Amino acid sequence: MQKLFSDYGMVLVLIVLCLLFSALTFKEQTPLGSNAIIEILEQINSKFDKSDIILAVGVAKKDSAPFAEKVGEKLKEAGYSKTRVVVGTPRDLKLALDDIKAEGSRPAAIATSGDVVKWRVIELMPQSHPEFMGCELLSPESYMWPDFLKRSNLLAIVDRIVVIAIIAIGMTMVIITAGIDLSVGSLIALAAVISTLIMKKLGGLQASGWVVLIGFFGGMLCCGIIGAVGGVIVSRFKVAPFITTLSVMMIARGLAFMITGGYSIYQVPKALPWLGQGRLLGMPNTVILLIVLYVAAHIFMAHTRTGRYIYAVGGNQEAARLSGVPVKSVIVFVYVISSLAAGLGGCIQTSQLNTGAPNIGVMYELYVIAAVVVGGTSLSGGSGRILGTLIGAFIISVIQNGMNLLAIESYKQQVVLGAVILGAVLLDKARRAGRLPAFLLKKKETMN
Amino acid sequence: MNRKNIVISCILVIMLSLFVYSCSKKSEAKGKIGMTCMDLTNPFFKLIADIMQAEAAKYGYEVVSLSGELDPAKQNNQLSDFVAQGYDAIFLNPVDSKAAGEGVKKAYEAGVPVFTFDVQVTDEQAKDMIVSHIGSDNYQGGLLAGESMMKVTGDNGKIALITYPEVTSCILRVNGFKDYLKEHNSKLEIVTELSGKGNRSDGYSVVTEILTAQPDIVGIFAINDPSGLGACAAVQKANKTELVTIIAFDASPAGKQAVFEKKLYDSPQQFPRNMAKGTVEAFIKHLSGEEVPKKNFIPCAHYYYEDSVSDESRIAEQW
Repeated sequence: MQKLFSDYGMVLVLIVLCLLFSALTFKEQTPLGSNAIIEILEQINSKFDKSDIILAVGVAKKDSAPFAEKVGEKLKEAGYSKTRVVVGTPRDLKLALDDIKAEGSRPAAIATSGDVVKWRVIELMPQSHPEFMGCELLSPESYMWPDFLKRSNLLAIVDRIVVIAIIAIGMTMVIITAGIDLSVGSLIALAAVISTLIMKKLGGLQASGWVVLIGFFGGMLCCGIIGAVGGVIVSRFKVAPFITTLSVMMIARGLAFMITGGYSIYQVPKALPWLGQGRLLGMPNTVILLIVLYVAAHIFMAHTRTGRYIYAVGGNQEAARLSGVPVKSVIVFVYVISSLAAGLGGCIQTSQLNTGAPNIGVMYELYVIAAVVVGGTSLSGGSGRILGTLIGAFIISVIQNGMNLLAIESYKQQVVLGAVILGAVLLDKARRAGRLPAFLLKKKETMN
Repeated sequence: MNRKNIVISCILVIMLSLFVYSCSKKSEAKGKIGMTCMDLTNPFFKLIADIMQAEAAKYGYEVVSLSGELDPAKQNNQLSDFVAQGYDAIFLNPVDSKAAGEGVKKAYEAGVPVFTFDVQVTDEQAKDMIVSHIGSDNYQGGLLAGESMMKVTGDNGKIALITYPEVTSCILRVNGFKDYLKEHNSKLEIVTELSGKGNRSDGYSVVTEILTAQPDIVGIFAINDPSGLGACAAVQKANKTELVTIIAFDASPAGKQAVFEKKLYDSPQQFPRNMAKGTVEAFIKHLSGEEVPKKNFIPCAHYYYEDSVSDESRIAEQW
């Protein structure tokens, strides 16, 4: 445990952030499970006759829809023959109420869950349907649970960071060699545009899944070639990585706009969304891809010769060269990997948007670099960990998501994000120097 | 404690207080509505966001406004966040009319109603999932601009169009303008059509070039105020203020002032306030179970010098 925290000090920050957001988003939730159904049925049984009209209402497509259907079904089984199930929009409920009114009868109760209670139709009932006075609103008892820790939200946190996290793998390698790659954001757009263009040319909407693969391959190949050229310029001609990749950034963005003439490409095969939006065994494909890539990258960096070479080049280039490390090839290699990762990111983004747009990925390079640095990789090269980068990416994602949950407006979000990144890095610096405030050190000992 | 610790502690305190600040704002609203637009740094959308907030608060709803920052991927992330958090509705102003379709589909599948404003979603499947759209009648606004152009030039001479072909609403304005001229058998000759990219500096350089190539033009129609004001600056620099009449579009605060200073002849007016109010109204109607019109277009109106003289919104620098 001690080792985990000293290796990946940022885990602590991530945990603190998660706890903070959980505490701040603690809210009343409506249960919809089988217990809730039983509870509702008991309430109805104790209060109403079998001849009463009971409305079971759910919101279309939401969790409350199957809830309402189940309740309706059980009620009919129990002999409440006049039960009506309404699943849909407020309009559907209004029509159902009007219908009951036209029949000259009145509903005895409306059984429902959280969302429906908020509908104005119900609020307005005393005015719109005064003869329904006394109609009771039944819903299962609520419980407290943070919005932040809902399954759907946790998936959203992973989903929003996938592209940045994957590109950050390549960026970590580049930064460990004491370089930097500013072109990744533009390469996302270039890969997106080229891959969709290939798909469009090879059949467009009617094309098969293979065409999607060919498109992705083409997009990534282009990025890889561009990365190789950039790497050669950096290693052989000794141009500063900052300048080289800055130029590539402009060239790639310009190319993306030139190829499409500024428009987005929409004529894409139906199979395209599979990568970015599909699921395998209940897990989003993107999440599986993320895990696989990180495990592979971790093993590569920590346990292979090339991986160790990358650290050596960043630590001291001259010493590495003298001890027989092929410095130039290693540098070209990391830029190719970084560009390929950006290309893959572009393919995922295309798949998520189902569109090839030339204006995606703006500023992504900065988020990626922030994730790498927050993850503990030194910008001066020689040190850093792949899994640290993953944690860094998650910290950024959690902050963005948490602020959206707390409804902090856009302008303030940028201020907070900047401050948190700065704070996290300072904290990490102090921890490395062994100068953490006493109370934090104590905590670490007790965890051990 | 050494100096470093003090710095770190300070930063932690600032962080925490920012969080606390944000929390203290958290009201006991009945529900939340997610709003995302093209660009919140544009005062047009900032105003819409503010009005939506005020209107929704009347019904006990809180509006969370986010900026898509002209990035369709970012906007789609925001849409999935809204869905994941179970917001009661989404107000959407798509950055990209087609790409936003994916986000709309997600919201629809999760039962979150989506209302669009200003720009429509054009994705084949997604456009039917939108509960309601409200926007300016850009085509009709283009007709107004055409009418003004014919009037002010005495229907004679060469004119130039400063367009922005990437944006549907701007294309509609140009179409309206051209159709008006055609219907009225105008003798005006459109000698050039160039993109001013909807902003001041591009408008300025494009018009400078037009004035060099076509020194005898009598009128310019720019599809929005920023590019129209860029055109003004170029015309002024070429000392042709008396010879070239400029018509823009929007009647933004800067545009209104320019009309008042007689730099612009007309700037067909959009009504962002009504757009914002209309969107909230549509949501409340939806909640009340009333029928909501699928599409609602607000007609534009001329904005001449006479309108600007006693216009309080111009003096207050507002839309």
